[in-house]
Amino acid sequence: MPTGKTTETTETIVREIDIEASPETVFEFFVDPDKLTRWLAVEATLDPRPGGVCQQVHEGAPGRGPYHMQGEFLEVDRPKRVVFSWGFAEPDVGVSPGGSTVEVTFSALDAGTRVRLVHRGLPAAAIGDHPGGWTVMLDRLRTAVSGS
Amino acid sequence: MLEAVVEPRRREILRLVRVSEQTAGAIAAHFPDVSRPSVSQHLRVLRDAGLLHERRQGTRRLYRARVEGLTEVRAFFEEFWDSRLQTLKVEAEREQRRQDADRKNH
Repeated sequence: MPTGKTTETTETIVREIDIEASPETVFEFFVDPDKLTRWLAVEATLDPRPGGVCQQVHEGAPGRGPYHMQGEFLEVDRPKRVVFSWGFAEPDVGVSPGGSTVEVTFSALDAGTRVRLVHRGLPAAAIGDHPGGWTVMLDRLRTAVSGS
Repeated sequence: MLEAVVEPRRREILRLVRVSEQTAGAIAAHFPDVSRPSVSQHLRVLRDAGLLHERRQGTRRLYRARVEGLTEVRAFFEEFWDSRLQTLKVEAEREQRRQDADRKNH
């Protein structure tokens, strides 16, 4: 019997990449703010222990953002595995704080590390599919367009 | 090169017509640096791709986004992680070389 409410389904992303650096070296890029800001975010506050904060500021496209990722470390097993929650303060991203999790595992190779990233719990919805989020986004877009 | 310029414009158009239906003229007015024929071309491509709904009212054409055609959260973060992990590889390998060089010097 249809209830009129959309079923909540979630999506998972799996990515793997081989890096010519030791697991110890690569792991630090997830837990050291000075290193995390070289690849993932423009600012970071990290307390890498279960329950510790994992906050990142991400630059949006020109005229949009910044976006604030408000996560928490769930598991920290240096240098093998790290899990943190992933969600944004800004509703137009479509993933609220605590809304999804990112699990990263590091396996030693002969000459490097295989990084496997599994992002679970992403809503099966369209980006910005929230009335408030779209208003904010449109304002930002107007600024971006008129400023160019 | 062309793709890189064209693609963000199309995304911007989609966002413009997400909340309310707009005429081709109103959409073009948002892009003062883009020629009108070029905006019409973007609209045609988006419509043909099933991302825009087009409606005629007299001589005017009105457009609104088809919600089901918008980028999904999953697709967005797939692109996000692909690009970030590539940067991670470059930065971590650079860091490893630096540490190896330091070790040799000591």
